[in-house]
Amino acid sequence: MRTAPRIALSALLLAALPLFPAGCAPKLPIDEGTLVIALPGSPGSIDPRLATEAYGEQLLQMTHSFLIKRDPAGNPAPDLAESWVERSPTEFVFRLRKGARFHDGREVTSADVRYTFEWILDPRNRSPHRATYDAISRIETPDPHTVVFRLKYPFAPFLVGMARGIVPAGSRAGGYAPVPGAGPFRSDDFQPDAGASLSRFDGYYGRPPAIGKVIVKFIPDSNIRFLELKKGSVNFVLNGVDPDLLPSVLANPNLAIDEAPGGNVSYLGFNLRDRILSDARVRRAIALAIDREAIVRTIWKGRADPADSILPPGFWAHADGLPPLRRDLAEAKRLLDRAGFPDPDGDGPKPRFTLTYKTSQNELRRRIAAVLQEQLRQAGIAVEVHSYEWGTFFSDIRKGNFQLYSLTWVGIADPDIFHYAFHSSQAPPDGANRGGYSNPELDRLVEAGRRETSRSARKEIYRKVQLLLSRDLPVLPLWAGRNVLVRDRRLGGFRLTSDEDYTSVREMRIEGEPGGAGGKAVR
Amino acid sequence: MSRYLLSRLAQLVPVVFGVVTIVFLLLHLIPGDPVEIMLGESAVAAQREELRRELRLDRPIAEQYMDFLGGLAGGDLGVSFRSREPVLREILSRFPATLMLAGAALCVALLVAVPLGILSAMRQHTLIDHLCAFVAMLGLSMPNFWLGPLLILVFSLHLGIFPVGGYGTTRHLFLPALTMGTGMAAILMRMLRSSLLEEIRQEYVRVAASKGLSRTGAVLRHALKNSAIPVLTVLGLQFGALLGGSIITETIFSWPGIGRLLVQAIDARDYPLVQGCVLFIALCTVAVNLATDLLYSRLDPRIRHG
Repeated sequence: MRTAPRIALSALLLAALPLFPAGCAPKLPIDEGTLVIALPGSPGSIDPRLATEAYGEQLLQMTHSFLIKRDPAGNPAPDLAESWVERSPTEFVFRLRKGARFHDGREVTSADVRYTFEWILDPRNRSPHRATYDAISRIETPDPHTVVFRLKYPFAPFLVGMARGIVPAGSRAGGYAPVPGAGPFRSDDFQPDAGASLSRFDGYYGRPPAIGKVIVKFIPDSNIRFLELKKGSVNFVLNGVDPDLLPSVLANPNLAIDEAPGGNVSYLGFNLRDRILSDARVRRAIALAIDREAIVRTIWKGRADPADSILPPGFWAHADGLPPLRRDLAEAKRLLDRAGFPDPDGDGPKPRFTLTYKTSQNELRRRIAAVLQEQLRQAGIAVEVHSYEWGTFFSDIRKGNFQLYSLTWVGIADPDIFHYAFHSSQAPPDGANRGGYSNPELDRLVEAGRRETSRSARKEIYRKVQLLLSRDLPVLPLWAGRNVLVRDRRLGGFRLTSDEDYTSVREMRIEGEPGGAGGKAVR
Repeated sequence: MSRYLLSRLAQLVPVVFGVVTIVFLLLHLIPGDPVEIMLGESAVAAQREELRRELRLDRPIAEQYMDFLGGLAGGDLGVSFRSREPVLREILSRFPATLMLAGAALCVALLVAVPLGILSAMRQHTLIDHLCAFVAMLGLSMPNFWLGPLLILVFSLHLGIFPVGGYGTTRHLFLPALTMGTGMAAILMRMLRSSLLEEIRQEYVRVAASKGLSRTGAVLRHALKNSAIPVLTVLGLQFGALLGGSIITETIFSWPGIGRLLVQAIDARDYPLVQGCVLFIALCTVAVNLATDLLYSRLDPRIRHG
């Protein structure tokens, strides 16, 4: 009887032994030449034909080669296609580079390119990218290194849409098994909600990566990402550390911060079908009552730039010299008076009118909502903030069930976004004109913009579009969050771009030793 | 016994039916469209309708419900909208992580609760009892979202003993198990103390002591076993809940369990996966409770099933 508890206790202690490490502290991954990246979420798919979430795209930028790439300004750049020719507005010929291989050793040929895009276009495969390639009528492969795309109609955004990872012909889709790519890293393992393991692909057509092993961890909690960075078990986090925690990063001698302008523009959406908000003077008054600089300074800790268009600054079609919108409370009140909404009791508590503002349950968004609420109160506008779980919030926005809301445009690749977001035919579910904006002049311009293939002519068209939008304010561009990379100080070679591109991970190297003063390397 | 088992298994049918019906209706009532989430914003209306038809989401809700029940009767939980994997495979791939964490949390809870509960009962109204009560209160009042990061700060950052998060080795298991087990330990400790105090006052303990057995011996040999039934009830309920996954602990420690899978499925309005997860959790809860009931008769021969 008495021996049983003893045996049980001994067994328990033996079982617990592996929990405790041996005498010395374990080596950090960077000491063993491993780059550990933390992503804030786990992708639902790592197949370029299906992936839509940013985290999936970022993994694919390391494991797959694309037909073409997009540079940070939105210009097409060579990748698997070393060159291309626009024979006519409806015929594009891509020449593939020779010697590019997939991770399984097969050479990348035009048949693989054709297979990838035909798979996406096949309705049975339910690819979320099918609409992007709707203009394609036929794909021809005259030889193993030439692909010809024929379009049903001239479609200017076609070329940037070809930035898509290529998979070997016949690749199975769906599930979590990594699909071979032709990128600099091969995907060895993928565990949903846990992480992915990548290793250098020596057969990569370009210069092979200097770092041999990359671990990607999916860490949803911002505080834990920060703690992992502090411990050194993660050494690379792009846009995953809360602005409030960045001062602690600066105090850490092993970590460094890189910063660059971002490409994701947040905006305030108005419902133009609403009795109050249909008046452009009210929308302008709201714009003038909001102090964007103060929000950028206090909530974003200076890590955002006020925006004047939904196209980020630096994007090739962004219009320079748009009329600035700075806070002017007196003018905002005058506009509201003129619009027929006088203040009923001067400085008293009664508002001119009440609006509802919908947002997600993200803590940062809710704090921004509280500040907007206070700033608009100073102009006599009462705002009720409603924050919802993402699915419910987005469903309401799509249905037009809102007065005010705030969202962010992510990953804008082409100014054709203006057609999608503001053309009068693009009310949901077909488009993203959620506020019901309708302007025949804008419709004409954005239709012309998608047909015109000359870059300079398109730039002029979209300059006019942005001027129109800054006058009518169907949405108010708020700010573009800056891209902030927190990394181990020994890591170098990563090019921080506005579109959060992970392609340059292949150029990273581990150099020097930690120590020295903490600091900030601003690019 | 076998008749009892059969009758308990038969009771499963209405439970499962009730759970799947409620979940099915709630999922279809809350706003959010899985087709929009799957295809993204860029898809045109025709594509949305096409997919809606293919997923049979265009059918009347009663027809969808019958389809679902039909699949369920054949053991088919459907295919996840998001990952395109069979739902059962998705759940079973996460279950080992959840089971491992729940089992480890249970071990932590028992290792803490049993000795402290006994000590507290045997030294009633002493400093030790007050200290145990304080520890239990502390354990109960510390929410996991606070305790988890605190343990990481101490054990990972300052002492460097355990990894911050992740999954794979036994070292990854310790902190999440401690986080989840602490609250459970506090409940069990208080439950064991009060149950044991009742037993200690019983006649048979005094008889055992008068026959020469030490007080400790009488408590450990006789009273402890008899006081285990209420503790076992709580233990069963708690363990059943743990098998449903802990969203907070799994999120803090990046643990790929069923809790996170369920939350993501809800976010994506992945109807088959949500239904599958909830059904699985309900079955686990029922199974653990059944096992608890069966254990009663092992602890107390007066309890006979059947």
